[in-house]
Amino acid sequence: MSEEKKKKKAMNRLKSMYPLRANIDQAYERSVEATKAGKPTAWSMVNWWEADPILKAMDIEIVYPENFGAVCAAMGKAQKYLDRADAEGFPTHMCGYARNGIGYTAEMTELGHIPPDAPMGGMPKPILLLASGALCDARIKWFQSLGRYLDAPVWAVELPHPGVEESQLPGVREKSIQFMVKELKELVSFLERLTGRKMDWAKLEEIADDLIEINRIWYEINEFRKVRPCPMHSRDFWSCMNASLYPAGDTKVSLKLYRDMYDEVKDRAANKIGAVENEKYRMVFGELPPWHALKIFDDLAERGWNFVVESWAYHAPKPIDYSKISDPLERIATQTYQWLTGYFPDALKEKEYMGYFAYPYLEWARTYQCDGGLFHPLLTCRTATNHLVLAQDRLLNKLHVPSLVAEGDIVDLKLFDYADTMRKAVVLEEMMDHYKQVRQEKGFEW
Amino acid sequence: MALIMGMDIGSGTSKSVIVRDGKPVAYHLLPSGVDYRAVAQKLREESLAKAGISASDIADTIATGHGAGNVAFSGHQASDILCCARGITSIFPSVRTIIDVQRTFTQVIRLNAAGHVINFIINEKCATGSGCFLDIISHVLQIDLKDAGPLSLGSDNPVVFTTGCAVFGESEAISRVSEGASREDILAGVHQALASKISTLVERVGLEMDCAMSGGGALNVGLVESVEKKLGFKLLVPEQPQFINAIGAAMMAENGVKAGVSLPEPGSTKIT
Repeated sequence: MSEEKKKKKAMNRLKSMYPLRANIDQAYERSVEATKAGKPTAWSMVNWWEADPILKAMDIEIVYPENFGAVCAAMGKAQKYLDRADAEGFPTHMCGYARNGIGYTAEMTELGHIPPDAPMGGMPKPILLLASGALCDARIKWFQSLGRYLDAPVWAVELPHPGVEESQLPGVREKSIQFMVKELKELVSFLERLTGRKMDWAKLEEIADDLIEINRIWYEINEFRKVRPCPMHSRDFWSCMNASLYPAGDTKVSLKLYRDMYDEVKDRAANKIGAVENEKYRMVFGELPPWHALKIFDDLAERGWNFVVESWAYHAPKPIDYSKISDPLERIATQTYQWLTGYFPDALKEKEYMGYFAYPYLEWARTYQCDGGLFHPLLTCRTATNHLVLAQDRLLNKLHVPSLVAEGDIVDLKLFDYADTMRKAVVLEEMMDHYKQVRQEKGFEW
Repeated sequence: MALIMGMDIGSGTSKSVIVRDGKPVAYHLLPSGVDYRAVAQKLREESLAKAGISASDIADTIATGHGAGNVAFSGHQASDILCCARGITSIFPSVRTIIDVQRTFTQVIRLNAAGHVINFIINEKCATGSGCFLDIISHVLQIDLKDAGPLSLGSDNPVVFTTGCAVFGESEAISRVSEGASREDILAGVHQALASKISTLVERVGLEMDCAMSGGGALNVGLVESVEKKLGFKLLVPEQPQFINAIGAAMMAENGVKAGVSLPEPGSTKIT
């Protein structure tokens, strides 16, 4: 058997992943068709369900430049756009998604139409750039820059950043959610003025409920990954997260496809079918992967590495009961707030005062019984980086779980050293073997 | 027991060691230049000639270092971190912490009692704390790199470098030269700056005794002394510190042969 065939067998991808991924990818085609038909399209950034449901309820098509950056990188098409952003005078230490998006937009503006070789059919000219204050302030500046190329308005939806212990004080949660609802009401008013359409509140109710249900199922799917062998690899997570996270694609279709995926993963878990043959090391991945070098996960799967969980920021929130919240805007805001704060009570109980970024790694390494971590700090993004060193320390010192740091960028392949990461991965295996013994000696469960 | 060759194709120099029964029997070193493939071939030929043996006497060759992927006649590559660990423990079994100062990076490696790696840290994105910094300053002072260590021992007033950055450090060294500082004092200052950076790596990874120093940087007596002063204890330094990774590579290959591990075809990129 050839080496290539052996590699293909090492990772057992979910069958249900392919239609879900296709549903996500169709968003590009739909937006291009909608624009041709004179219907509005917006460019949005991930806002953790806070604002997109409102666009969807008003029949505004959405595409996501961040997702487009990942697609360009994965298809080997990003370099042209990165170079163009460089030529436009944007610094090379800026976020890869932003550079890719600016390069693409500069080219589209110059041509007067979508670049013919754009991956997935490209992103059409939007009527609106919808920014979010979630996690990363640089993203708003990125969209402001895009707005100048596209002559399109930029609207930023803000949200609180409850990353401190004081956010648990009485009343903070309620006030935060009220603030978010107010932000969303202002967005609705703005969109009504911009498009001349009225908000369809019944449709918003339905979309909000669908999204809450999508996230509940997506959460449950990921719970199955705690079993041995883990039935779903991070590659499948990343391929499918966008239907929940952005939410790209039709929500009714996404709901059905996530249910199909639930059935498949549940079946695999029951029948002990792993995502990687001969699961030897159960791994947690830190931050977004190098989209341009996803093959590394196949190479690591060859060595028995199964990535069983990844950064909390791209996961669904811990489920809570939304049934008593009658206002759809408040339901949406509550879900986003739950995503931001869902791990706080446990973190505080364990006296892990490390904000909302690093603690979930501890909880997940324990509950998913991870042997090690592979952390990918993004040299171009402090938000996605600054907590990883802390998480690495806490994993080693508290749980005796070692990890490897492989620096890089989500889009720019020049910043990632594939061969070096593989060489260090071998060393991490030796470390994982050692610490497995240490955990056993200290009475840990795994 | 058959002969085994370990090769370390580094960014500055390439080293080979031939071992038999865990004991090195021949060493060889060449400047790496820019063509790793060519230097690996030349290193092999000259090593064999030096040892008076032919290629067929070598049961296995394993390569490590920056250019390991260019050793076409080697069946497999090994991580330089593992090679360093295996190489040092073959000489000093009691070592638990290794400071490995190479040309382009410095790494600190922690070992357990079995000699296995349990943690490591590398300052790979920055020349500070690596041999490259010494190269740069030697060039500024127009001295041979091998003289930097002995010269620095004659310093009585080391220059205090205000930066840990090799690029700014070069500018600072030029300024100190123009102010009349002696070469000895500048070199001693550079060694102290390097030692300071190295000590932070040691602190980060956690020190456990015994501690050894390897790599080309360990040939520099001034640097070794500065690191010892900074850390407050004596370091174990092997006789030929720049060959440690090549020795380790050979040890790994020898263990593989002893264990009857089937080796991949030459030219494959299997990482051991």
